[in-house]
Amino acid sequence: MTELKVGLVGSGGITGVHVPAWLALGAKVTVYSLEGAEELAGRYGLKVAPTLEELLECADIVDICTPTASHSDISLAAIRAGKDIICEKPVARTVAEGTAVLRAARAAGVQIYPGHVVRFFPEYAAAKAAIDAGRLGIPAILRFSRGGAGPLRDWFYDQEQSGGLIMDQMIHDLDQARWLAGEVTQVYAIQHPATAAGKTPRTVSAHVTLTHHSGAISHIQGVWGPATMEFRTSFDLAGDAGSLHFDSAADASVVSNLGQHNEASYLPAATGAESPYLTQIREFAAAISGGPAPRVSFDDGLVALALAEAANESLRSGQAVPFAAPQVAAAQSSTR
Amino acid sequence: MTGPTTAPRLKVALLSFAHTHAHSYLRHLCARDDVELLTADPEGAAASDAGPRGAEFAADYGVRYVDSYEEALAWQPQAVIICAENSRHLELVRKAAAVGADILCEKPLATSAIDAKSAVDASDAAAVQLMIAFPVRFSPAYRELKERVRAGQLGDVLSVVGTNNGWMPTDRSWFTDPELAGGGALVDHVVHCADLLDDLLGLPVLSVRAVTNRILHADTGVRVETGGMVNLTYDGGIIATIDCSWSQPASAPTWGGLTLQVTGTKGSIKIDPFASHVGGYDSRGALWLPFGADLDALMLERFLDMVQTGDMTGADGRGGLRTVQIVNAAQESARTGQPVRLRSEERTVRTLREQAQEQVH
Repeated sequence: MTELKVGLVGSGGITGVHVPAWLALGAKVTVYSLEGAEELAGRYGLKVAPTLEELLECADIVDICTPTASHSDISLAAIRAGKDIICEKPVARTVAEGTAVLRAARAAGVQIYPGHVVRFFPEYAAAKAAIDAGRLGIPAILRFSRGGAGPLRDWFYDQEQSGGLIMDQMIHDLDQARWLAGEVTQVYAIQHPATAAGKTPRTVSAHVTLTHHSGAISHIQGVWGPATMEFRTSFDLAGDAGSLHFDSAADASVVSNLGQHNEASYLPAATGAESPYLTQIREFAAAISGGPAPRVSFDDGLVALALAEAANESLRSGQAVPFAAPQVAAAQSSTR
Repeated sequence: MTGPTTAPRLKVALLSFAHTHAHSYLRHLCARDDVELLTADPEGAAASDAGPRGAEFAADYGVRYVDSYEEALAWQPQAVIICAENSRHLELVRKAAAVGADILCEKPLATSAIDAKSAVDASDAAAVQLMIAFPVRFSPAYRELKERVRAGQLGDVLSVVGTNNGWMPTDRSWFTDPELAGGGALVDHVVHCADLLDDLLGLPVLSVRAVTNRILHADTGVRVETGGMVNLTYDGGIIATIDCSWSQPASAPTWGGLTLQVTGTKGSIKIDPFASHVGGYDSRGALWLPFGADLDALMLERFLDMVQTGDMTGADGRGGLRTVQIVNAAQESARTGQPVRLRSEERTVRTLREQAQEQVH
């Protein structure tokens, strides 16, 4: 593999796991960010690009780690520059924007992958492998939960910027539900307290129920809790031949009692031997270098985004919302 | 617990052995020397199940048996325990109320809100007590949860995920009979969590949305839903979901369980009242040796105390009615796909005065 030249856009929380992954792959990383670029560059020994244009000039792969609402504009700029892209989830703030990005990427013949990293967490990958091997039979009832301290930065609570709890956080499990139980036909969502005047409350919980084409039912709980809440994820999957259960709070490979307060963290503790962010970025980088297609496509990210949009629509209307995955026809000018 | 043997014993009639909890109740009642028991199971002979019913069932416990409800009630019991099929509860509540007996009825109170309301009305008219068998209310884990929530340790409650998953009941065929049971997993398992939430939150449910399926156990030709997910919105906005599915695989070493995960603005608590066990393996697979409080025993003790003292705290037929209303709304929602708002005349709102009285207790 030739040396990877990566242009990182943004300097927020997720870059703290992306940058070490790139460095582990031997990549040369340049960062551009409206704020925090110098600090991040200093911590990891990166170069700083003063403008997005200069970043695009020195990069082969663009890694977009900015607030959600900026994803599509930055993606389109990178596509115009002919760069391959890794974009954090959600792939865009709206399905319309995400669809435009996908069309543009196909027309330009660049590769673009979404940061749906939960597919790379070993516990979820193990469940997927077991279901694919038929060990559960036909999936019937699936429950997912994800919660912890709410994110620190204000933009997460601005509906225009993030799409709220469901679009920012629960989109991970919307993607998991579809990955494990197939396409979705109906979405129903409830949240408390409600998002009002475009602001998601600082402590908030939402429940989303999905009906799958197969008849399977998925339930997803999301929580942005108080600063003291430890991050925790769980899943309980039942099929007609068996069941699977995982709870990060019960994952006991290390049990410590050190007489100190636990540092609440927004990001989950990785349970595997390798950072799932590294697994993800390696798989994307290999695909960009001509390797096999990764386990998640931008199209998957777009469907997850559409599920989040449908859930937000259900919150607004109070009704269950019929769902069909957005179809983006392959561009005729795609030459790749 | 047990009074002096010279005191008059409490006359308790147990009607029907259709529900297998009759085993547990008889075992506990037989152990009390302050209780005089009479049983009747006239429909037992016609039941299609292989297990013993009727006089044979009673003989296993060495308890007196008569072959008609009329005969059992003519004995003038002070307390009646109803273990009939769900759709037969109302008829027996009416008969027991008519002889002035206080009643412990298996859950759900009835298969329709109309029947449940009639049962409450019958007990009100006869001025007898009507308690519904919700044993998890008596679990120490639930009591601790309630104390912590009421003490404000969670801040404001945001959401609850409740699960009541178990084996598909196969020990009695009526559990999966649409007429006798009134439905499947929705009827069997929603009411336990709904009752705990009713007690914990003290709030009326405004909206119910449910999805069901029949993927689990489809090979058995089951005619009722085996999987279900019910979303509830309470007055004031608190959201809850109840997974009522019969999703415990037959190969599992224990029947299933019930959990509540309560999340608030200051933190969260999860309770799993049936979690206590010693685990292991034998030559046939995993072992599960449960231990902890015997919830049926605690519930029966409370019921018999109520009969003796007249103190109704904590268990009334109206709570049973509210949970049946939720089940009915869930069934309607599962048919239409859309949320069902509980109609105002069905919404049994507790007055602030009632809630304040509850706080005092």
